Amino acid sequence: MAAPGGCRLLLRLGRRWLSQEPAVPPPPPPPPPPPGPLYPPVVASHTARSKAARRRRLEHFQRQVHEAASVEEKLRLYGKLQRPKYTVHPQTFALNADRWYRSFTRTAFVPGLPAEAAEEPGPAEEAGVELGALRSLACDALLQESFYQKKRRPFLYRDQEHTPGPFVTQLVSSLAASLCGHNPLLAASSLDLNPEVNYYWHHGEEVVVHGHRKGRVDPVRFQIDDKPHLQLRVPKQLPEIVPLESDLGDVPVIDHKPSKLPLFKKQYENKVFIGSKVSDPCCYGHTQFHLIPDKLKRERFIIANLEDQIEVVYRANGVASLFAWTAAQAMYQGFWNEADVTRPFVSQAVVTDGKYFAFFCFQLNTLALTAETVKNNPRKNICWGTDSKPLYDVVEEGSVKGFNDEVLLQLVRFLLNRPKEL
Amino acid sequence: YPLFQLGGPQLRIFRPNFFMLAVRPGVPQPEDTVQFRVSMEMTKVDIKNYLEKIYNVPVAAVRTRIQYGANNKRNHKNQRVKTPDYKVAYVQLGKGQTFQFPNLFPEKEQDEEAQSFDDFRKKYLEKEQKIQKGDPRRGGVPDWFGL
Repeated sequence: MAAPGGCRLLLRLGRRWLSQEPAVPPPPPPPPPPPGPLYPPVVASHTARSKAARRRRLEHFQRQVHEAASVEEKLRLYGKLQRPKYTVHPQTFALNADRWYRSFTRTAFVPGLPAEAAEEPGPAEEAGVELGALRSLACDALLQESFYQKKRRPFLYRDQEHTPGPFVTQLVSSLAASLCGHNPLLAASSLDLNPEVNYYWHHGEEVVVHGHRKGRVDPVRFQIDDKPHLQLRVPKQLPEIVPLESDLGDVPVIDHKPSKLPLFKKQYENKVFIGSKVSDPCCYGHTQFHLIPDKLKRERFIIANLEDQIEVVYRANGVASLFAWTAAQAMYQGFWNEADVTRPFVSQAVVTDGKYFAFFCFQLNTLALTAETVKNNPRKNICWGTDSKPLYDVVEEGSVKGFNDEVLLQLVRFLLNRPKEL
Repeated sequence: YPLFQLGGPQLRIFRPNFFMLAVRPGVPQPEDTVQFRVSMEMTKVDIKNYLEKIYNVPVAAVRTRIQYGANNKRNHKNQRVKTPDYKVAYVQLGKGQTFQFPNLFPEKEQDEEAQSFDDFRKKYLEKEQKIQKGDPRRGGVPDWFGL
């Protein structure tokens, strides 16, 4: 076959010779792709009882949560594993509970309200014209509940839901409605009655004492199940009070187990809830209103010679409830302890027992509270709070004596709080 | 003792067996908590009154529990021997007071002579033990074992 081969060669050469192109070497063929690994990657076992296997399972779980398709899926995976956890009650009779709650939630407490919330001359002046109208609203609500309306004697330990509860509801709804004109955020807000707020988190580590898991190192789990009296949820977030990395106080450190508080463990559903489901447009919090229960009234503390614990009740309630609410809001936006928040979440709360009002502001700067993530985390959450002040002195014969305008003004300022753009 | 109702007789107890023993807590406790072993018949109210009236200690809260003593030990007749039950009270002090259980057996400072004598005695005992063990090069084999 030399002749056809030679003809083909001649044809080839001839063609090139005829076209008189410069002799260009043919482009080199693309290099073959490097051969893939012959064996699968060498990683730690998935099921062995070793630290490397544990690490691998943990990383697998974290990757699953990071890559979850939606926030609901993330929350479902986050709280899937149920184990005994400490139930933290925001309203508790435990002594010095606010110090403990600040340690569990890595919160620094600053007495007094931040400067912006304390004096707001602009909006307050506008509303100052109508302060009389608002005062009459408040007095009307108070008199209606405690004087004009004929009520039966309240059942044992149900005093708070008899008079102060409806009074607070009426006060807040009428104030919010009348301040809608000044604060467009209130017009788009959603007022919840007796909502539920839940949050589940890990903080610190302990060794399991009893049972088939004895000897293993487990994170300490906490759950807050809170039922505020009222809640205002808004579609836009409140502005930050201080920058994310600010340090305004110390977080108390406790060197013993949380069960000495007293605090008890129970195993049930790990719920994270702000008061509405994830798809609700009002997913940011504005203000919560808490009612102190009958067992934690002022009079009972005074009889038991525990006057200094009265303020502790308000502070513990403010810190715990606001932490749970802001952290749940952050989880609704997709943040969790491995993916820390990139912007601070701010909420406010008013804790009252019908006569005395205490105001709290909370800024959530970090969600990373687990033993691993808290090591290199310089951020702290910050809570501002006031002492409880009476709104009025006494209700007598159809009139309110000793009405305190400052408390009402502070309440109005809280309701008028809104982002700068609005 | 039966519950007192308004108008009922005041049943008084004379010379009750009320005692309180402050103990060192087995697990770390908060700073304001003191742990006591108390008589089984004392209630939380009794404990509070006892401390406040007799010792003038402000008490904020009391929690009690009964520790069950196990019945597992056996004597020479193989009968079960019960270790007694006792009541433990955790008392939280009021007015911001704190309490740390003291160290009842602090290490005493030895003077120079006693210390040097102790060191000398320790060295002598170590030498004696080494001689008893025998030559380490023999690997624990007794010295009567050989040709």
